[in-house]
Amino acid sequence: MYVTVKVEVEKCNGCKLCVLSCPDPNVLAYKQEEKHVVVNEHRCKGCGLCATVCPEEALTVSGN
Amino acid sequence: MSTKIITPVAQFAELLPQEYKDLVAHGPYHERRSVRDLGTFKEIVDEHPHCAGCGVALAVRLLAAALPSPADTLIVGTPGCSFFSLVQTALNYSNTAFGNQNAVAAGLKRMLEIRFPRVHKDVVVVAGDGGIADIGLDLTLHSWFRREKITTVMLDNEVYANTGGQESGMSRQGRVLNMAPRGKLFPKIPVFELAKVSGCVYGARVTVAGPYKVGRAVRNAVLLARELGPTYVQVYTPCPTNMKFPPDQTLRVAKEAEKDHYSFEEFMSAEAAEYLTRLKATSEESEKAPELAKP
Repeated sequence: MYVTVKVEVEKCNGCKLCVLSCPDPNVLAYKQEEKHVVVNEHRCKGCGLCATVCPEEALTVSGN
Repeated sequence: MSTKIITPVAQFAELLPQEYKDLVAHGPYHERRSVRDLGTFKEIVDEHPHCAGCGVALAVRLLAAALPSPADTLIVGTPGCSFFSLVQTALNYSNTAFGNQNAVAAGLKRMLEIRFPRVHKDVVVVAGDGGIADIGLDLTLHSWFRREKITTVMLDNEVYANTGGQESGMSRQGRVLNMAPRGKLFPKIPVFELAKVSGCVYGARVTVAGPYKVGRAVRNAVLLARELGPTYVQVYTPCPTNMKFPPDQTLRVAKEAEKDHYSFEEFMSAEAAEYLTRLKATSEESEKAPELAKP
């Protein structure tokens, strides 16, 4: 694994902007029960778009 | 081209890859999904080799989520960046020689109408600006003149991205590129304006910074092409590799383009507007009373 994506779930407001901005499918998923996003780091290329668009600054992308 | 093709034989179900099993169980084939539902279902586009932060990859993902009936859709593409992800999707896909895509799509659509007279088989051309505006421009325009019932989606990254960054007809005037070091000398080809006067019943110009707009435009275009005639969607898909901006800035670049030269625009014929209104009323009615829709 070359990329690490940290999601601070308590900050996530469930707007799904990060999900809609990610060019790679099946990297970010929205957990409806818990109302926050989760990340599949194995698929992530580390572009950082999710972190840029997040209004709550809940995502941090590092590595690559 | 049937939803049955994705149903595994029971005896082999155990052996199938997890991705495939997820697609069968949680994919968008049997249930209506849209861009709004992204992140909550197994997508038909899976992994792809696009660069990090690629606008084309994002547009393909949004497009695949917006198709009204993906199992009955045939995507026709052409060599270029758009093709990298499309060949790996769980969609019916046909590649063509560079520039031929609209002619091939028109032929396939006619054949499918004869073979499946009672089912809508959507044929959608997905190609880059080079395939549509440069090498394939005459075949694209002629498919519109002939009122072929196909949708054309241009993924406009304003550059020949997969061959090292040559200027394309859709590159902006003055744009300095890897292989255009003095800047492009001519303005962008006005394909969107050409679509208006060449017979398209619907057209939309959008950027990847507006995912819902992309989804709505693609869905409208595909639905209208079924009944009325050719439709066109032009999506701005900035390329961080060749435009030399950081990959996390793709959406900022797209938003700036919206303010500058890529403002949202949509046109449709009176017939198309009437058809969409009728369609919306029908779907609202069936949503209000789902028990009536059941057989």
